[in-house]
Amino acid sequence: MKDRLLPYWLLIPAFIIVLATTIYPLAYSFITSFRAWDLTKSRRPEGFVGLDNYIYATSESQFLNSLWVTFIFVITSVILTVILAMALALLLRRKGPMHTFTRIILILPFAMSPALIGVSYRFMFNPEFGVIANGLGAVFPALQGVPWLADPQLAMGVLVLTDVWHWTPYMTFMCLGGLASIPRETEEAARIDGASNLRIIFGIILPQMRGVILVMAVLKTIFALKMFDQVVTLTGGGPGTSTETLAYFIFNVGFRWFDMGYASALAWILTAIMMFISIWYVRMLLSERKMATA
Amino acid sequence: MKRTLAYVGERALLVLISIVVLFPIAWMFLTAFKQPRDAYSLSLVFEPTLQNFVTVFSAPWNLGSMVMNSVIVATVTVAIAVPCAALAAYSFSRFRVKGRKFLFFLILSTQFIPAVVIVLPFFLMFRQLNMLDTRLALIIVNLAIVTPFVIWMIKGFIDAIPTDSEEAAMIDGASRLRVIKDIVLPMAAPGIMTSSIFCFILTWNEFLFALILSRRDAVTLPVGLVSFRTERGDLWELMSAAGVMITVPIFIMALFIQKHFTRGMTAGAVK
Repeated sequence: MKDRLLPYWLLIPAFIIVLATTIYPLAYSFITSFRAWDLTKSRRPEGFVGLDNYIYATSESQFLNSLWVTFIFVITSVILTVILAMALALLLRRKGPMHTFTRIILILPFAMSPALIGVSYRFMFNPEFGVIANGLGAVFPALQGVPWLADPQLAMGVLVLTDVWHWTPYMTFMCLGGLASIPRETEEAARIDGASNLRIIFGIILPQMRGVILVMAVLKTIFALKMFDQVVTLTGGGPGTSTETLAYFIFNVGFRWFDMGYASALAWILTAIMMFISIWYVRMLLSERKMATA
Repeated sequence: MKRTLAYVGERALLVLISIVVLFPIAWMFLTAFKQPRDAYSLSLVFEPTLQNFVTVFSAPWNLGSMVMNSVIVATVTVAIAVPCAALAAYSFSRFRVKGRKFLFFLILSTQFIPAVVIVLPFFLMFRQLNMLDTRLALIIVNLAIVTPFVIWMIKGFIDAIPTDSEEAAMIDGASRLRVIKDIVLPMAAPGIMTSSIFCFILTWNEFLFALILSRRDAVTLPVGLVSFRTERGDLWELMSAAGVMITVPIFIMALFIQKHFTRGMTAGAVK
Protein backbone atom coordinates (compact mmCIF):
# COMPACT_ATOMS: atom_id res chain seq x y z
CA MET A 1 0.00 0.00 0.00
CA LYS A 2 2.70 2.41 1.03
CA ASP A 3 4.81 1.47 -1.96
CA ARG A 4 1.89 1.90 -4.33
CA LEU A 5 1.50 5.54 -3.40
CA LEU A 6 5.21 6.28 -3.38
CA PRO A 7 5.34 7.44 -7.04
CA TYR A 8 2.79 10.10 -6.17
CA TRP A 9 4.54 11.20 -3.00
CA LEU A 10 7.70 11.72 -4.98
CA LEU A 11 5.88 14.03 -7.36
CA ILE A 12 4.18 16.16 -4.75
CA PRO A 13 6.96 18.60 -3.76
CA ALA A 14 7.75 19.48 -7.38
CA PHE A 15 4.07 19.81 -8.16
CA ILE A 16 3.43 22.16 -5.29
CA ILE A 17 6.20 24.35 -6.70
CA VAL A 18 4.86 24.26 -10.26
CA LEU A 19 1.29 24.91 -9.12
CA ALA A 20 2.22 27.79 -6.86
CA THR A 21 4.77 29.44 -9.12
CA THR A 22 3.33 28.83 -12.58
CA ILE A 23 -0.23 27.57 -12.76
CA TYR A 24 -1.63 29.92 -10.13
CA PRO A 25 0.01 33.10 -11.52
CA LEU A 26 -1.07 32.11 -15.01
CA ALA A 27 -4.67 31.82 -13.91
CA TYR A 28 -4.35 35.12 -12.06
CA SER A 29 -2.99 36.96 -15.07
CA PHE A 30 -5.61 35.37 -17.34
CA ILE A 31 -8.37 36.78 -15.14
CA THR A 32 -6.59 40.12 -14.90
CA SER A 33 -6.50 40.29 -18.70
CA PHE A 34 -10.30 40.73 -18.70
CA ARG A 35 -10.25 43.52 -16.15
CA ALA A 36 -9.59 47.21 -16.19
CA TRP A 37 -6.84 47.75 -13.66
CA ASP A 38 -4.77 50.88 -13.61
CA LEU A 39 -2.40 50.60 -10.65
CA THR A 40 -1.86 54.34 -10.50
CA LYS A 41 -5.56 54.83 -9.83
CA SER A 42 -6.55 51.80 -7.81
CA ARG A 43 -4.78 49.37 -5.47
CA ARG A 44 -7.43 46.74 -6.13
CA PRO A 45 -8.61 45.31 -9.43
CA GLU A 46 -11.44 47.21 -11.02
CA GLY A 47 -14.38 45.73 -12.89
CA PHE A 48 -14.46 43.19 -15.65
CA VAL A 49 -14.43 44.63 -19.15
CA GLY A 50 -14.72 41.45 -21.15
CA LEU A 51 -12.51 41.39 -24.22
CA ASP A 52 -11.90 45.14 -24.24
CA ASN A 53 -8.17 44.82 -23.51
CA TYR A 54 -7.72 42.38 -26.37
CA ILE A 55 -9.85 44.41 -28.77
CA TYR A 56 -7.96 47.57 -27.87
CA ALA A 57 -4.70 45.82 -28.80
CA THR A 58 -5.84 45.17 -32.39
CA SER A 59 -5.90 48.89 -33.15
CA GLU A 60 -3.21 50.25 -30.85
CA SER A 61 -0.27 51.44 -32.90
CA GLN A 62 2.45 50.83 -30.32
CA PHE A 63 1.38 47.24 -29.87
CA LEU A 64 1.22 46.69 -33.63
CA ASN A 65 4.65 48.26 -33.91
CA SER A 66 6.06 45.90 -31.29
CA LEU A 67 4.53 42.96 -33.13
CA TRP A 68 6.26 44.05 -36.33
CA VAL A 69 9.58 44.69 -34.55
CA THR A 70 9.37 41.24 -32.94
CA PHE A 71 8.62 39.65 -36.30
CA ILE A 72 11.66 41.25 -37.95
CA PHE A 73 13.89 40.37 -35.01
CA VAL A 74 12.73 36.75 -34.84
CA ILE A 75 13.00 36.10 -38.58
CA THR A 76 16.49 37.54 -39.02
CA SER A 77 17.97 36.13 -35.84
CA VAL A 78 16.54 32.64 -36.41
CA ILE A 79 17.72 32.42 -40.02
CA LEU A 80 21.19 33.74 -39.27
CA THR A 81 21.65 31.60 -36.17
CA VAL A 82 20.56 28.37 -37.83
CA ILE A 83 22.71 28.85 -40.94
CA LEU A 84 25.79 29.89 -38.97
CA ALA A 85 25.35 27.10 -36.45
CA MET A 86 25.07 24.52 -39.21
CA ALA A 87 28.19 25.86 -40.93
CA LEU A 88 30.15 25.93 -37.67
CA ALA A 89 29.09 22.41 -36.79
CA LEU A 90 30.24 21.09 -40.17
CA LEU A 91 33.59 22.74 -39.55
CA LEU A 92 33.93 21.60 -35.94
CA ARG A 93 32.82 18.05 -36.54
CA ARG A 94 36.36 16.98 -37.39
CA LYS A 95 38.71 16.05 -34.58
CA GLY A 96 41.86 17.93 -33.70
CA PRO A 97 43.30 20.03 -30.90
CA MET A 98 42.20 23.31 -32.48
CA HIS A 99 38.72 21.99 -33.06
CA THR A 100 38.47 20.96 -29.42
CA PHE A 101 39.78 24.32 -28.28
CA THR A 102 37.24 26.20 -30.41
CA ARG A 103 34.46 24.00 -29.08
CA ILE A 104 35.40 24.88 -25.49
CA ILE A 105 35.55 28.58 -26.37
CA LEU A 106 32.04 28.30 -27.81
CA ILE A 107 30.62 27.47 -24.39
CA LEU A 108 31.43 30.93 -23.08
CA PRO A 109 28.85 33.16 -24.84
CA PHE A 110 26.01 30.96 -23.79
CA ALA A 111 27.11 30.98 -20.16
CA MET A 112 27.29 34.77 -20.20
CA SER A 113 24.53 36.87 -18.69
CA PRO A 114 22.34 38.21 -21.54
CA ALA A 115 22.02 41.55 -19.74
CA LEU A 116 25.80 41.81 -19.67
CA ILE A 117 26.02 40.91 -23.36
CA GLY A 118 23.74 43.85 -24.12
CA VAL A 119 25.88 46.17 -22.01
CA SER A 120 29.12 44.99 -23.65
CA TYR A 121 27.81 45.48 -27.19
CA ARG A 122 26.47 48.90 -26.28
CA PHE A 123 29.97 49.81 -25.18
CA MET A 124 31.63 48.36 -28.27
CA PHE A 125 29.24 50.05 -30.68
CA ASN A 126 29.57 53.49 -29.15
CA PRO A 127 30.55 55.72 -32.10
CA GLU A 128 33.09 57.73 -30.10
CA PHE A 129 35.10 55.17 -28.17
CA GLY A 130 33.51 51.83 -29.04
CA VAL A 131 36.08 49.35 -30.26
CA ILE A 132 33.89 47.73 -32.93
CA ALA A 133 32.48 51.02 -34.19
CA ASN A 134 35.99 52.45 -34.52
CA GLY A 135 37.49 49.21 -35.82
CA LEU A 136 34.91 49.07 -38.59
CA GLY A 137 35.52 52.75 -39.31
CA ALA A 138 39.25 52.13 -39.65
CA VAL A 139 38.81 49.22 -42.07
CA PHE A 140 35.89 50.70 -44.04
CA PRO A 141 36.17 54.50 -44.14
CA ALA A 142 32.52 54.71 -45.19
CA LEU A 143 31.55 53.38 -41.76
CA GLN A 144 33.44 56.06 -39.85
CA GLY A 145 31.33 57.74 -37.18
CA VAL A 146 28.20 55.74 -38.00
CA PRO A 147 25.75 56.16 -35.09
CA TRP A 148 25.06 52.45 -34.73
CA LEU A 149 22.57 52.60 -31.90
CA ALA A 150 20.97 55.91 -32.84
CA ASP A 151 19.75 54.72 -36.22
CA PRO A 152 16.59 52.56 -36.18
CA GLN A 153 17.72 49.99 -38.74
CA LEU A 154 21.29 49.77 -37.51
CA ALA A 155 20.16 49.43 -33.89
CA MET A 156 18.00 46.50 -34.93
CA GLY A 157 21.03 45.05 -36.72
CA VAL A 158 23.16 45.31 -33.59
CA LEU A 159 20.38 43.76 -31.50
CA VAL A 160 20.18 40.81 -33.91
CA LEU A 161 23.97 40.54 -33.87
CA THR A 162 24.11 40.25 -30.07
CA ASP A 163 21.43 37.58 -30.17
CA VAL A 164 23.19 35.63 -32.93
CA TRP A 165 26.45 35.86 -31.00
CA HIS A 166 24.71 34.60 -27.88
CA TRP A 167 22.81 31.68 -29.41
CA THR A 168 24.88 30.40 -32.34
CA PRO A 169 27.24 28.42 -30.07
CA TYR A 170 24.37 26.63 -28.37
CA MET A 171 22.74 25.82 -31.69
CA THR A 172 26.13 24.64 -33.00
CA PHE A 173 26.24 22.09 -30.21
CA MET A 174 22.75 20.92 -31.16
CA CYS A 175 23.92 20.51 -34.77
CA LEU A 176 27.01 18.61 -33.64
CA GLY A 177 24.73 16.29 -31.68
CA GLY A 178 22.63 15.78 -34.80
CA LEU A 179 25.65 15.22 -37.03
CA ALA A 180 27.06 12.65 -34.62
CA SER A 181 23.89 10.60 -34.82
CA ILE A 182 23.67 10.25 -38.61
CA PRO A 183 25.46 7.24 -40.13
CA ARG A 184 28.63 8.02 -42.06
CA GLU A 185 28.47 5.21 -44.64
CA THR A 186 26.61 7.03 -47.40
CA GLU A 187 28.87 10.01 -47.02
CA GLU A 188 32.00 7.91 -47.24
CA ALA A 189 30.67 5.99 -50.24
CA ALA A 190 29.96 9.27 -52.01
CA ARG A 191 33.42 10.54 -51.15
CA ILE A 192 35.00 7.44 -52.65
CA ASP A 193 32.90 8.04 -55.78
CA GLY A 194 34.51 11.47 -55.93
CA ALA A 195 31.57 13.66 -54.89
CA SER A 196 32.57 17.21 -53.95
CA ASN A 197 32.26 18.52 -50.42
CA LEU A 198 29.41 20.82 -51.39
CA ARG A 199 27.48 17.97 -52.98
CA ILE A 200 28.00 15.84 -49.89
CA ILE A 201 26.80 18.62 -47.61
CA PHE A 202 23.73 19.59 -49.62
CA GLY A 203 22.91 16.18 -51.06
CA ILE A 204 23.59 13.87 -48.14
CA ILE A 205 24.14 15.61 -44.80
CA LEU A 206 21.54 18.38 -44.84
CA PRO A 207 18.60 16.14 -45.86
CA GLN A 208 19.39 13.87 -42.93
CA MET A 209 19.61 16.86 -40.59
CA ARG A 210 16.14 18.10 -41.44
CA GLY A 211 14.65 17.06 -38.11
CA VAL A 212 17.41 18.69 -36.06
CA ILE A 213 17.25 21.89 -38.12
CA LEU A 214 13.51 22.08 -37.60
CA VAL A 215 13.87 21.62 -33.84
CA MET A 216 16.56 24.30 -33.75
CA ALA A 217 14.51 26.76 -35.74
CA VAL A 218 11.47 26.36 -33.53
CA LEU A 219 13.40 26.48 -30.26
CA LYS A 220 15.27 29.56 -31.46
CA THR A 221 11.97 31.16 -32.48
CA ILE A 222 10.58 30.64 -29.00
CA PHE A 223 13.72 32.00 -27.35
CA ALA A 224 13.74 34.99 -29.71
CA LEU A 225 10.09 35.75 -28.94
CA LYS A 226 10.93 35.85 -25.22
CA MET A 227 14.12 37.87 -25.65
CA PHE A 228 14.09 40.78 -23.26
CA ASP A 229 17.34 41.40 -21.39
CA GLN A 230 19.40 42.72 -24.28
CA VAL A 231 16.65 45.10 -25.36
CA VAL A 232 16.80 46.74 -21.94
CA THR A 233 20.58 46.91 -21.70
CA LEU A 234 21.48 47.50 -25.35
CA THR A 235 18.90 49.78 -26.91
CA GLY A 236 16.19 50.41 -24.32
CA GLY A 237 13.70 49.81 -27.14
CA GLY A 238 15.09 52.78 -29.06
CA PRO A 239 15.81 54.83 -30.98
CA GLY A 240 12.15 55.74 -30.76
CA THR A 241 10.32 52.45 -30.67
CA SER A 242 12.39 50.79 -33.39
CA THR A 243 13.64 47.93 -31.20
CA GLU A 244 10.68 47.71 -28.87
CA THR A 245 9.92 43.98 -29.00
CA LEU A 246 6.67 42.54 -27.69
CA ALA A 247 8.22 41.34 -24.42
CA TYR A 248 9.70 44.79 -23.82
CA PHE A 249 6.45 46.53 -24.72
CA ILE A 250 4.54 44.37 -22.23
CA PHE A 251 7.10 45.34 -19.60
CA ASN A 252 6.54 49.01 -20.40
CA VAL A 253 2.77 48.75 -20.26
CA GLY A 254 2.92 46.90 -16.95
CA PHE A 255 5.71 48.64 -15.10
CA ARG A 256 5.92 52.12 -16.59
CA TRP A 257 2.26 52.79 -17.34
CA PHE A 258 1.02 50.36 -14.65
CA ASP A 259 -1.90 49.29 -16.84
CA MET A 260 -2.14 45.76 -15.45
CA GLY A 261 -5.23 44.69 -17.35
CA TYR A 262 -3.84 45.63 -20.74
CA ALA A 263 -0.37 44.26 -19.92
CA SER A 264 -1.90 40.92 -18.92
CA ALA A 265 -3.89 40.76 -22.14
CA LEU A 266 -0.74 41.47 -24.18
CA ALA A 267 1.17 38.87 -22.19
CA TRP A 268 -1.49 36.31 -23.09
CA ILE A 269 -1.29 37.26 -26.75
CA LEU A 270 2.45 36.54 -26.61
CA THR A 271 1.76 33.26 -24.81
CA ALA A 272 -0.81 32.32 -27.45
CA ILE A 273 1.70 32.96 -30.23
CA MET A 274 4.29 30.78 -28.48
CA MET A 275 1.75 28.01 -27.79
CA PHE A 276 0.67 28.06 -31.42
CA ILE A 277 4.28 27.65 -32.54
CA SER A 278 4.99 24.90 -30.01
CA ILE A 279 1.90 22.90 -30.95
CA TRP A 280 2.68 23.27 -34.62
CA TYR A 281 6.23 22.16 -33.83
CA VAL A 282 5.15 19.06 -31.91
CA ARG A 283 2.86 18.08 -34.79
CA MET A 284 5.64 18.57 -37.32
CA LEU A 285 7.93 16.41 -35.19
CA LEU A 286 5.32 13.68 -34.97
CA SER A 287 4.77 13.63 -38.72
CA GLU A 288 8.57 13.58 -39.23
CA ARG A 289 8.75 10.53 -37.03
CA LYS A 290 5.90 8.87 -38.90
CA MET A 291 7.72 9.48 -42.16
CA ALA A 292 10.91 8.07 -40.69
CA THR A 293 9.24 4.86 -39.56
CA ALA A 294 7.11 4.45 -42.69
CA MET B 1 49.19 21.79 -52.48
CA LYS B 2 45.43 21.98 -52.59
CA ARG B 3 45.28 19.94 -49.40
CA THR B 4 47.64 22.18 -47.46
CA LEU B 5 45.64 25.18 -48.62
CA ALA B 6 42.45 23.65 -47.28
CA TYR B 7 44.28 22.71 -44.10
CA VAL B 8 45.55 26.23 -43.53
CA GLY B 9 42.18 27.71 -44.49
CA GLU B 10 40.34 25.56 -42.00
CA ARG B 11 42.75 26.47 -39.20
CA ALA B 12 42.51 30.15 -40.06
CA LEU B 13 38.73 29.93 -39.93
CA LEU B 14 38.89 28.29 -36.50
CA VAL B 15 41.14 31.08 -35.24
CA LEU B 16 38.76 33.67 -36.66
CA ILE B 17 35.76 32.05 -34.97
CA SER B 18 37.58 31.93 -31.64
CA ILE B 19 38.42 35.62 -31.96
CA VAL B 20 34.84 36.61 -32.80
CA VAL B 21 33.58 34.63 -29.82
CA LEU B 22 36.25 35.72 -27.36
CA PHE B 23 36.73 39.34 -28.34
CA PRO B 24 33.70 40.96 -26.65
CA ILE B 25 34.45 39.05 -23.45
CA ALA B 26 38.16 39.86 -23.58
CA TRP B 27 37.46 43.54 -24.22
CA MET B 28 35.21 43.71 -21.18
CA PHE B 29 37.91 42.06 -19.05
CA LEU B 30 40.54 44.52 -20.28
CA THR B 31 38.27 47.49 -19.67
CA ALA B 32 37.67 46.35 -16.11
CA PHE B 33 41.38 46.89 -15.40
CA LYS B 34 41.69 50.25 -17.18
CA GLN B 35 41.74 53.67 -15.67
CA PRO B 36 38.82 55.82 -16.85
CA ARG B 37 40.94 57.74 -19.37
CA ASP B 38 42.13 54.47 -20.96
CA ALA B 39 38.65 52.98 -20.95
CA TYR B 40 37.50 55.70 -23.33
CA SER B 41 40.42 55.30 -25.67
CA LEU B 42 41.09 52.28 -27.81
CA SER B 43 44.57 51.67 -26.48
CA LEU B 44 45.68 48.13 -25.91
CA VAL B 45 48.64 49.46 -23.97
CA PHE B 46 47.63 50.79 -20.59
CA GLU B 47 48.65 50.73 -16.97
CA PRO B 48 46.40 48.13 -15.31
CA THR B 49 44.68 49.06 -12.10
CA LEU B 50 42.43 47.36 -9.57
CA GLN B 51 40.84 50.69 -8.67
CA ASN B 52 37.57 49.89 -10.52
CA PHE B 53 36.99 46.89 -8.29
CA VAL B 54 37.66 48.96 -5.20
CA THR B 55 35.23 51.61 -6.48
CA VAL B 56 32.36 49.25 -7.32
CA PHE B 57 32.58 47.59 -3.91
CA SER B 58 32.42 50.90 -2.04
CA ALA B 59 29.60 53.42 -1.68
CA PRO B 60 27.47 54.39 -3.54
CA TRP B 61 27.68 51.28 -5.74
CA ASN B 62 28.02 48.62 -3.03
CA LEU B 63 28.45 45.72 -5.38
CA GLY B 64 29.14 43.53 -2.34
CA SER B 65 25.49 43.51 -1.33
CA MET B 66 24.48 42.63 -4.89
CA VAL B 67 26.97 39.75 -4.90
CA MET B 68 25.40 38.57 -1.64
CA ASN B 69 21.90 38.81 -3.11
CA SER B 70 22.91 36.91 -6.23
CA VAL B 71 24.68 34.20 -4.25
CA ILE B 72 21.80 33.76 -1.81
CA VAL B 73 19.04 33.80 -4.44
CA ALA B 74 20.84 31.36 -6.74
CA THR B 75 21.96 29.01 -3.95
CA VAL B 76 18.60 28.81 -2.20
CA THR B 77 16.80 28.34 -5.53
CA VAL B 78 19.11 25.42 -6.36
CA ALA B 79 18.72 23.99 -2.85
CA ILE B 80 14.93 23.94 -3.16
CA ALA B 81 14.51 23.11 -6.85
CA VAL B 82 17.04 20.30 -7.28
CA PRO B 83 15.93 17.91 -4.48
CA CYS B 84 12.25 18.34 -5.35
CA ALA B 85 12.97 17.94 -9.06
CA ALA B 86 15.16 14.87 -8.49
CA LEU B 87 12.35 13.04 -6.67
CA ALA B 88 9.84 13.95 -9.36
CA ALA B 89 12.29 12.99 -12.09
CA TYR B 90 12.78 9.56 -10.51
CA SER B 91 9.04 9.06 -10.34
CA PHE B 92 8.59 10.07 -13.99
CA SER B 93 11.48 7.86 -15.04
CA ARG B 94 10.60 4.65 -13.18
CA PHE B 95 6.85 4.54 -12.53
CA ARG B 96 3.78 4.47 -14.72
CA VAL B 97 1.80 6.98 -12.69
CA LYS B 98 -1.76 7.60 -13.82
CA GLY B 99 -1.98 10.73 -15.93
CA ARG B 100 1.81 10.70 -16.16
CA LYS B 101 1.87 11.85 -19.75
CA PHE B 102 -0.42 14.76 -19.00
CA LEU B 103 1.57 15.79 -15.92
CA PHE B 104 4.86 15.60 -17.77
CA PHE B 105 3.44 17.59 -20.67
CA LEU B 106 2.10 20.17 -18.23
CA ILE B 107 5.55 20.57 -16.69
CA LEU B 108 7.32 20.80 -20.01
CA SER B 109 4.83 23.24 -21.48
CA THR B 110 5.53 25.72 -18.69
CA GLN B 111 8.93 26.16 -20.33
CA PHE B 112 7.29 27.82 -23.29
CA ILE B 113 5.55 30.45 -21.20
CA PRO B 114 7.23 33.85 -21.41
CA ALA B 115 8.58 35.04 -18.08
CA VAL B 116 6.87 38.40 -18.50
CA VAL B 117 3.47 36.67 -18.18
CA ILE B 118 4.41 35.16 -14.83
CA VAL B 119 6.01 38.25 -13.39
CA LEU B 120 2.91 40.46 -13.76
CA PRO B 121 0.75 38.54 -11.24
CA PHE B 122 3.74 38.01 -8.97
CA PHE B 123 4.37 41.73 -8.90
CA LEU B 124 0.75 42.32 -7.85
CA MET B 125 0.82 39.57 -5.23
CA PHE B 126 4.14 40.58 -3.70
CA ARG B 127 2.99 44.17 -3.61
CA GLN B 128 -0.10 43.12 -1.68
CA LEU B 129 2.04 41.07 0.74
CA ASN B 130 4.73 43.78 1.08
CA MET B 131 7.27 41.36 -0.32
CA LEU B 132 8.59 43.47 -3.18
CA ASP B 133 12.34 44.00 -3.05
CA THR B 134 13.02 40.85 -0.99
CA ARG B 135 15.27 37.92 -1.84
CA LEU B 136 12.46 35.52 -0.97
CA ALA B 137 10.32 37.01 -3.74
CA LEU B 138 13.10 36.46 -6.27
CA ILE B 139 13.66 32.88 -5.08
CA ILE B 140 9.95 32.06 -5.45
CA VAL B 141 9.76 33.43 -8.98
CA ASN B 142 13.01 31.80 -10.07
CA LEU B 143 11.64 28.44 -8.92
CA ALA B 144 8.97 28.83 -11.60
CA ILE B 145 11.55 28.87 -14.38
CA VAL B 146 14.09 26.49 -12.95
CA THR B 147 12.03 23.61 -11.53
CA PRO B 148 10.53 22.25 -14.80
CA PHE B 149 13.88 22.61 -16.49
CA VAL B 150 15.68 20.64 -13.78
CA ILE B 151 13.03 17.88 -13.72
CA TRP B 152 13.54 17.49 -17.45
CA MET B 153 17.32 17.40 -17.15
CA ILE B 154 17.57 15.01 -14.21
CA LYS B 155 15.01 12.67 -15.79
CA GLY B 156 17.34 12.40 -18.77
CA PHE B 157 20.20 11.39 -16.50
CA ILE B 158 18.12 8.87 -14.50
CA ASP B 159 16.72 7.32 -17.68
CA ALA B 160 20.29 6.54 -18.69
CA ILE B 161 20.96 4.52 -15.51
CA PRO B 162 20.22 0.80 -15.95
CA THR B 163 17.61 -0.56 -13.55
CA ASP B 164 19.32 -3.92 -12.89
CA SER B 165 20.99 -3.05 -9.61
CA GLU B 166 17.80 -1.42 -8.32
CA GLU B 167 15.82 -4.56 -9.07
CA ALA B 168 18.46 -6.78 -7.50
CA ALA B 169 18.42 -4.71 -4.31
CA MET B 170 14.64 -4.87 -4.12
CA ILE B 171 14.64 -8.65 -4.52
CA ASP B 172 17.03 -8.67 -1.56
CA GLY B 173 14.32 -6.87 0.37
CA ALA B 174 15.42 -3.23 0.21
CA SER B 175 12.60 -0.68 0.22
CA ARG B 176 12.11 1.73 -2.68
CA LEU B 177 13.31 4.66 -0.58
CA ARG B 178 16.43 2.73 0.44
CA VAL B 179 17.05 1.99 -3.23
CA ILE B 180 16.69 5.64 -4.14
CA LYS B 181 18.97 6.77 -1.35
CA ASP B 182 21.71 4.12 -1.62
CA ILE B 183 21.73 3.20 -5.31
CA VAL B 184 20.04 5.77 -7.54
CA LEU B 185 21.23 8.98 -5.91
CA PRO B 186 24.93 8.00 -5.88
CA MET B 187 24.71 6.84 -9.49
CA ALA B 188 22.84 9.97 -10.56
CA ALA B 189 25.13 12.25 -8.55
CA PRO B 190 27.18 13.56 -11.50
CA GLY B 191 23.96 14.31 -13.41
CA ILE B 192 22.39 16.00 -10.40
CA MET B 193 25.56 18.03 -9.93
CA THR B 194 25.46 19.11 -13.57
CA SER B 195 21.78 20.02 -13.30
CA SER B 196 22.47 22.03 -10.15
CA ILE B 197 25.14 24.03 -11.96
CA PHE B 198 22.82 24.73 -14.89
CA CYS B 199 20.15 25.77 -12.43
CA PHE B 200 22.63 28.06 -10.66
CA ILE B 201 23.75 29.67 -13.95
CA LEU B 202 20.16 30.29 -15.01
CA THR B 203 19.27 31.96 -11.71
CA TRP B 204 22.53 33.87 -11.48
CA ASN B 205 22.01 35.41 -14.93
CA GLU B 206 18.29 36.03 -14.48
CA PHE B 207 17.43 39.65 -15.22
CA LEU B 208 13.74 40.27 -15.89
CA PHE B 209 12.39 39.14 -12.50
CA ALA B 210 15.09 40.96 -10.57
CA LEU B 211 14.57 44.13 -12.61
CA ILE B 212 10.86 44.21 -11.83
CA LEU B 213 10.74 42.81 -8.31
CA SER B 214 13.72 44.54 -6.72
CA ARG B 215 14.41 48.21 -6.06
CA ARG B 216 17.28 48.62 -3.61
CA ASP B 217 17.70 45.84 -1.06
CA ALA B 218 17.38 42.72 -3.22
CA VAL B 219 19.07 43.94 -6.40
CA THR B 220 21.13 41.18 -8.03
CA LEU B 221 24.29 41.57 -10.12
CA PRO B 222 22.79 41.68 -13.65
CA VAL B 223 20.34 44.40 -12.60
CA GLY B 224 23.15 46.16 -10.78
CA LEU B 225 24.74 46.75 -14.19
CA VAL B 226 21.98 49.18 -15.06
CA SER B 227 22.85 51.37 -12.07
CA PHE B 228 26.14 52.34 -13.73
CA ARG B 229 24.13 54.43 -16.16
CA THR B 230 24.29 57.86 -14.60
CA GLU B 231 23.51 61.41 -15.61
CA ARG B 232 27.19 61.67 -16.52
CA GLY B 233 26.72 58.82 -18.97
CA ASP B 234 27.58 55.14 -18.77
CA LEU B 235 30.54 54.39 -16.53
CA TRP B 236 32.04 51.66 -18.70
CA GLU B 237 35.06 50.83 -16.60
CA LEU B 238 32.83 50.21 -13.57
CA MET B 239 30.26 48.29 -15.61
CA SER B 240 33.07 46.10 -16.90
CA ALA B 241 34.38 45.46 -13.41
CA ALA B 242 30.88 44.41 -12.36
CA GLY B 243 30.67 42.32 -15.53
CA VAL B 244 33.82 40.47 -14.54
CA MET B 245 32.29 39.73 -11.14
CA ILE B 246 29.21 38.29 -12.85
CA THR B 247 31.14 36.28 -15.41
CA VAL B 248 34.07 34.65 -13.62
CA PRO B 249 32.16 32.29 -11.31
CA ILE B 250 29.87 31.22 -14.15
CA PHE B 251 32.71 30.55 -16.58
CA ILE B 252 34.45 28.38 -14.00
CA MET B 253 31.27 26.38 -13.52
CA ALA B 254 30.59 26.17 -17.26
CA LEU B 255 34.04 24.76 -17.96
CA PHE B 256 33.58 22.34 -15.10
CA ILE B 257 30.50 20.79 -16.74
CA GLN B 258 31.83 21.31 -20.26
CA LYS B 259 31.34 17.67 -21.27
CA HIS B 260 27.70 17.71 -20.26
CA PHE B 261 27.02 21.11 -21.71
CA THR B 262 25.21 20.06 -24.85
CA ARG B 263 23.59 17.08 -23.29
CA GLY B 264 22.18 19.20 -20.52
CA MET B 265 20.90 22.02 -22.62
CA THR B 266 19.45 19.83 -25.33
CA ALA B 267 18.08 17.15 -23.00
CA GLY B 268 14.89 15.97 -24.62
CA ALA B 269 14.86 18.77 -27.14
CA VAL B 270 16.27 16.70 -29.99
CA LYS B 271 14.39 13.55 -29.10
